[in-house]
Amino acid sequence: MAQLSLKNIGKSFDGTDVIRDVSLDVADGELVCLLGPSGSGKSTILRMVGGFETPDRGSILIDGQDVTLILPEKRPTGMVFQSHALWSHMSVADNVAFGLKLRRMPRREIQAKVADALGLVGLKDYGTRRVWQLSGGQQQRVAIARALVLEPKILLLDEPFASLDQHLREHLREELRDIQRRLGITTLFVTHGQDEALALADRIVVLQQGDLEQVASPDRMYRAPETRFVAGFIGSMNFLACDMRHGRADHPLFPVEAPVADGPVELAIRPEALTVAPARAPQAKVHRTTDYGSHLLVDIDLADGTRVKAMCPPSARFAAGDGVTLTADRVTLFRGQKKLAEVSPRPARELSHA
Amino acid sequence: MTHTSSSGTVRKGGTAKRNGRGLTGLLLVSAPVALLGWLIIYPIFNAVARTLFTAGDEGLHFSLDTYQRFFTDGYALNNLWLTLWVTAVCAACLMAICLPLALYLRFAKSRVAAVVQGLALFPMFVPSVILAYALIRTIGPNGGVDLVLNAVGLPKINSPYLTPWGPVIGLVWDNIPLTTLMLVAGLGGVSDNAVEAARDAGARRFALLRYIILPQIGNAMLVVLSFTVLGIFSAFTLPYVLGPASPEMMGPFMQRTFSQLSDSRMAVTQAVITFAICACFGAFYVRSIAKNREARR
Repeated sequence: MAQLSLKNIGKSFDGTDVIRDVSLDVADGELVCLLGPSGSGKSTILRMVGGFETPDRGSILIDGQDVTLILPEKRPTGMVFQSHALWSHMSVADNVAFGLKLRRMPRREIQAKVADALGLVGLKDYGTRRVWQLSGGQQQRVAIARALVLEPKILLLDEPFASLDQHLREHLREELRDIQRRLGITTLFVTHGQDEALALADRIVVLQQGDLEQVASPDRMYRAPETRFVAGFIGSMNFLACDMRHGRADHPLFPVEAPVADGPVELAIRPEALTVAPARAPQAKVHRTTDYGSHLLVDIDLADGTRVKAMCPPSARFAAGDGVTLTADRVTLFRGQKKLAEVSPRPARELSHA
Repeated sequence: MTHTSSSGTVRKGGTAKRNGRGLTGLLLVSAPVALLGWLIIYPIFNAVARTLFTAGDEGLHFSLDTYQRFFTDGYALNNLWLTLWVTAVCAACLMAICLPLALYLRFAKSRVAAVVQGLALFPMFVPSVILAYALIRTIGPNGGVDLVLNAVGLPKINSPYLTPWGPVIGLVWDNIPLTTLMLVAGLGGVSDNAVEAARDAGARRFALLRYIILPQIGNAMLVVLSFTVLGIFSAFTLPYVLGPASPEMMGPFMQRTFSQLSDSRMAVTQAVITFAICACFGAFYVRSIAKNREARR
C-alpha cells in the first residue's frame, strides 16, 4: 500500500493559524486517528491530505512523492465524508461506479468491481436501490464502498460515523476495522470521539489549536498522557490541585512522593485507578452513584469541596451520604500542561487518619 | 400483559378536528382561496366563455369564429411565432448567461463574488421603462455606441432597436437577476461535500457539471424555464418600446387589438391562446416536479 508523510505543514485562514507546524508519518497499512476538540484542525489536516485545501507551508508526501499541489481528482486518496455525500440522483451502484466510469473502464470490469465493493460492505443486493431508500448506516457503507472501489493508496475518513446512533456506530467501526485490516490500506481517520479513536486506531494523534499534543498508541495515550490536555481529553480524569513540598504532595488524601521541584501541581487520577471502601469517619462522602451495568460510577465529594469520580465493580454497594476511603493505584503529576512524574502511591489509608 | 411506551411525537388529546383546529385551518386558508377564485379562476373561465359564446339575435350561441380568425390570419400567426421565438431565444440566452454566473456565485469563495452578486441583482431595481429608455439611448440609432464608434472613425452599428433582437436584449437584461437568484437557490441544494466527493472520485470541471451539478438542479432549471417563459410570453413594456411594429409580440398585439381596433372579444381570444400556451409550460413544470417527488417516495 502506501506511506503518508506530512512535513511541517501549516495553514492559515484569514490570518489565523489553523494548523501551525505539523509533521506526521503514517506507516504502510496503519490506521491513524486524528483526535481533538472542535477547531483543533483535524479536519483541515485531512482535507489537505485529500487536496481540498492547500497548505501554506510544508509538504505532503505519499510514498515519497510530493502531492502538496496536486488536485484532489488526481490524488491517490479516497475520502469518506461525515455527511455521506452520496449523489441522490444516482442509484447505489452508480454512486460506487462513478469514479470507475470516469476512468473509462470496460463495463464488465466496472460491474465486477462495484459488486465486490458492495459485497465488502455487506450491501451486495442493494445496487439498484436509490440512496434515499437506505438507512444512515447503509448510506455510510455505500460511501465507504465508493471510496474503496477506486483502490486509493490512502483512505481518508472525516468523522464518518458522527451522524449515526451509538449502537450502529460501534457496529460500523468494527466492520471498518475489519475491512481496513483485510485490505491493509493506510488510513487517516478524523474523529472527536475518544472511544472511537481508542477502539480503532493503531496510533492516535491528539491535536489542540493546530498543534500536535501527543502521538501514541491508544494504550500509551490513555495510560501515559504526556500533557494535561491529553490527560483530560482522553477518557475521564480527576484533577486535584495541591503543592509539592520537599518531594511530597501536600494533598490530604494523596500525599504522593515524587522527585519534583516545589510548587503547585495537579494530581491526575483515572476513576478506575481509585479504590473506594466504606469508612467510619466521613471525610469524603458519596454524592451519587450511577450504574452503567458493567461498572458503577461513584461521585465522591472530598472535604475541600472537590468532586472526584471513581469506578467500582457493579457489585459495590454505596448510597449517597456514605463515608468512604480512597486509594489510588497510579497518579500522574502535572504542572501547567507539562507532565512531571508518574507514581504509584502507597497502599490505602483511612481517610480519618489522613 | 405487555405495555409499550414510546417517546415519539404522539399527539395527546385527540385529532386536530376534534380540537376545533380543523375549522381554524379552513378559515385561515379560505381568504386566499377566495381571492384566488375571484381574481384568477373566475376571470379565466369568464374570458374563455366570452371567446366561445357570442350574442346573436337568438341570444347566446357557441362559436369558434375568433379562434378561426386568429389561426387563419397570417399577421396574428406571425405575432405568435415572433413571441415564441423571442421567448425561446431569451430562455436560451438567460440559461447561457445566468448558469455560469450562478455557478460562480455558488462556488466562488472570493470577495469578488459578493460584488458580482450585487451587480447581477442591480437590474432588478431598474423599472422596465427606464431600462428601455437606457437601451434606446445606448444601442438605438445615434445612441451611445454609435457615438463612440463615430468618434474612433468606425461605421455605425446595425441597431437591434425595433428589430426582434431589441426586446430580446431588454428582456434578457431585465430577467438576469431573478433567473440568477433562482439558479443560485437551486445550487444551494448541491452540497460542497457532494462536489468534493465527485472531485475525489476523479471528476474534473466538465464531468462535475454534467454528472453531478446539472442533474441535481434539474428542478431549479425547470422553475427558471417556467418563470422565464411565463414572464416573457406575457411581457408588454419592453416588447412595446423596443420591439418591431410588425410583427409584434402578443402583449402589444393584444393591447392594440383592444384599444385601437376596439375588438375586445378578439383581444380576449389572443389572451386565452397566450394563456393556453403558458398553461402548457406550467403543466409541464408541475408534472415534472410531481414526478420527481413521486420517485422519491
